[in-house]
Amino acid sequence: MTTPNRSVSNGLLLGARLRNLFSVSPIVVVLASILLVLIAPAVIFLFQSSLHETQFDGSFGAFTFQYYVDLLTSDQFLTNLINATIYAVGSAAVAISIGVLLAWIVERTNTPGGGWVLIISIISLGIPSVLYTISFLMLLGKVGPANEILMWITGAEDPLLNVYSLWGMIIIEGIEFAPLSYLLLSSVFRSNDASFEEASMMSGAGILQTFRNITLRLAQPAILALLILIFIRAFESFETPALVGLPGNVSVITTDIYESIDEVPANYGQAGAFSVVLLFIVGGLLVWYNRLSRNAERFQTITGKGFRPRVMDLGKWRWLTGAILALLFMIIIGFPIGIVLWVSMVPYYDGVSLEAVKLFTFDNYRTVFNSRSFHDSIGNTVIMGAAAASIVAPFTALCAWLTVRRYKGAWILDQLATSPLIFPAIVMGVAFLQVFLNLPFGLYGTLLSIILASMVRYLPYGMRYSYAGILQIHTELEEASSMSGARQTTTFLRIVMPLVAPAMVTCWLFVFLVSVKAVSIPILLAGPKSQVVAITLFDMWENGITNELAAMGVTWTGFMTIISLIFYMLAKRYGLSVR
Amino acid sequence: MKTTFLSKTGLFVGGIALLAAASLPATVSAQSILTYKGKDREAKLIAGAKKEGALTIYSALTVNQALRPLADGFQKKYPFIKVDFWRGSSRKIAQKVLAERRADSLVADVLEGSGLSQIMVKAKSVVPFSTPYANNIAKKYRDENNLWVASRFSYFGTAYNQKIIPAGTQPKTYADLLNPKWKGKIAWRIGSETGALLFISNVRMAMGEKSATAYFAELSKQGLINFKGSARTLVNRVVEGEYPLAIQIFAHHPVISAKKGAKIGVQMMQPVPSVNGTIMVPKGVKNAHAAMLFIDYYLSKAGQNVLKKARYFPVVTGIDPRKELTSITPRLANLKENYVKPETLFKLRKGSQKIFKKYFKHGKTVIVKRKKKKKKNNK
Repeated sequence: MTTPNRSVSNGLLLGARLRNLFSVSPIVVVLASILLVLIAPAVIFLFQSSLHETQFDGSFGAFTFQYYVDLLTSDQFLTNLINATIYAVGSAAVAISIGVLLAWIVERTNTPGGGWVLIISIISLGIPSVLYTISFLMLLGKVGPANEILMWITGAEDPLLNVYSLWGMIIIEGIEFAPLSYLLLSSVFRSNDASFEEASMMSGAGILQTFRNITLRLAQPAILALLILIFIRAFESFETPALVGLPGNVSVITTDIYESIDEVPANYGQAGAFSVVLLFIVGGLLVWYNRLSRNAERFQTITGKGFRPRVMDLGKWRWLTGAILALLFMIIIGFPIGIVLWVSMVPYYDGVSLEAVKLFTFDNYRTVFNSRSFHDSIGNTVIMGAAAASIVAPFTALCAWLTVRRYKGAWILDQLATSPLIFPAIVMGVAFLQVFLNLPFGLYGTLLSIILASMVRYLPYGMRYSYAGILQIHTELEEASSMSGARQTTTFLRIVMPLVAPAMVTCWLFVFLVSVKAVSIPILLAGPKSQVVAITLFDMWENGITNELAAMGVTWTGFMTIISLIFYMLAKRYGLSVR
Repeated sequence: MKTTFLSKTGLFVGGIALLAAASLPATVSAQSILTYKGKDREAKLIAGAKKEGALTIYSALTVNQALRPLADGFQKKYPFIKVDFWRGSSRKIAQKVLAERRADSLVADVLEGSGLSQIMVKAKSVVPFSTPYANNIAKKYRDENNLWVASRFSYFGTAYNQKIIPAGTQPKTYADLLNPKWKGKIAWRIGSETGALLFISNVRMAMGEKSATAYFAELSKQGLINFKGSARTLVNRVVEGEYPLAIQIFAHHPVISAKKGAKIGVQMMQPVPSVNGTIMVPKGVKNAHAAMLFIDYYLSKAGQNVLKKARYFPVVTGIDPRKELTSITPRLANLKENYVKPETLFKLRKGSQKIFKKYFKHGKTVIVKRKKKKKKNNK
């Protein structure tokens, strides 16, 4: 290491002393206040709503613990908690099984066609989760191809599969999390040292034996952490339980919350109590998860020079694994997209058959493109996503910079901006619903309300990208700027921002993509004039307008996939995590 | 007293409210047009509506057949009023309007739906109005406090898929529904004021509480499938063969489907429950003049004929529904009718909800393997 120039080191010390002298920077105070104003009312109103009797017109009445008492003494709550647990464990198991298989085949073997897996990740980021779930309902439903094939094989008279059940929920959610599971596991497998496996093979163990005893064992900590993460995400999820579970009378906590608000008059107190309880459960689980995976995520930066371990040569078995890869690809992407395309081309959905091909028509697309309400819905969604992303990206860039540069008190910004993670989406929806109902700004039912709630929800994701981006920038560039006489603001605007721009753009795209997929927040906040695509699709499914739903879904997914592709290209180019 | 966050907000809100109250006189006169009975009523309405220039309708009527033609017809008559409508279930309408009022951001000017009125009345969220056109409706179909008038009638029956259940073999009375051969084959709507809850209330009124409870205990053994979705969708599912029977559906839906060629029939079981939809004006309405003009239009011959054409049941005396609906209109088909007033529906609601929770809420969906060969024709 070279000895730093004396004047430079003096300058550094001076700068540091000055910063400490002025204690908390005003910028930190301003940002922290903004965050508090955005987050605190939601939290407060959430708790308040659960502790006060809900009047007929929705206002708060007398203080009461009754909602909590009712909840904790009700059988139904216990049943739904158990349902949620089984559902979450099952989904995680399914997701990880698929993920492990995919990751091992692609990263550790010489199976042909591994590159196709990237398409899975790209499309799954673009496809709205509502549409994805509905596609499986079409595939596995009473008139769907799965039942047709089973009935043909077994000669049964009636459909054998009932997808509207707990197992249906588990399968669908498990497949939905498979891409995420693959992404996280692939980086684990990629960085494994191959020498253990080689030693095993040289000692005479077969491929499967090596896989089971060496590869899996080495990946165990990562798999365990992933298991918990997916468990948490499934436990707090709403779309699948609402679309798959409710019609089959299977309820979980998140659907209980929604149903409480769906009553007339809305039972805000009960929804609040459920939400708070869910919040504590999920919070506890997240604390446990963080302990297990400490340091795993934060410092994901340029992957740099890690060498690719030698892949295993499977010999002629690679055609089998290739077939498995193709099958998994079809299950995760091919069939869902296929059925939606199919349904979008027929006037009514009565199963997949050769006769139906004669009915192919573009009518559904025509209806979608000509309808004003569809235009409005798409317009609203784009505005909402763009606005949320445009605020989150620069805001978190600034917060991350202040945190990484260790400005005094900036750690609070990090904490505040990451805190929304403990809120399940539906709980955040309930909390913000209360905010907009109780504060006199006339925001209820407006697009702005959805933008605000989405902003808060995706702050943590923004922070992660911005943090990673800022870490890539060495301080010497900023120091050089200060040395040349620039003020902090100038340094930030003219040195930091251009350098962190790629991370910000990637962040913008990511926040845009995930905010337009979401259902749990808009479903409670959207009004007649602020419909967004995810809700339009949800409503269309409930109203049986299946074919137009498919046409709209295909069109929208197409656009989002293009954006997702751009996101992936940028992320790869600048070495940023795509999680 | 400790000032909490909420009470500080309360002060802030109070301040705003005072300011709002100071500007109240303007709103008061706008509201009083709702009950104005003078000779120059129409002129005043048109003048006021010109200033307002907009109207938003929340209704549960079907869009293509009824809501859009009504809006278009109204817009044609008064081109200076820009009409916006939103179609939702009656329940969603109530939820949205109550939430909008709570958040002080009311959007709707006119509300229309079935099973809507008492909730809005109890929440003190609707205001009295009067229109000379209401005199064409029989008195019992109008609220005595002028908070609503009937907007349409609905009659309910049982839909059955005629490919699975040939005509003639369907259940014909409520007692017939208890036959074990229908186990697992009957679906009904939940999440609606006119679905399962109305079925239960109607049976309670018809049989008396004691017999009704015994009836429900038996019915619960039939494994009724709780369908959460629109009434139209449920009937579509019967057409598709997903459910052979659906009880407590709007009787005109299967009639419309049958006319298009679907193999579906409707069985009216006596007493036929009937309710009326209501049309109301929310408290704090922004476009009061336009709202009254619309209500007038709705209750006029032109409006009622739109309803008739859309296969709804008009409320104005002297306008009969379409010919194909005669068989399901009790007074024209000689069927015993049980008209359930909105207040009655509301009064019985809690008790019916309890019964539902006790006997029907956690019924599992049953898949029955039929032994008889009746292959569903998929082609």
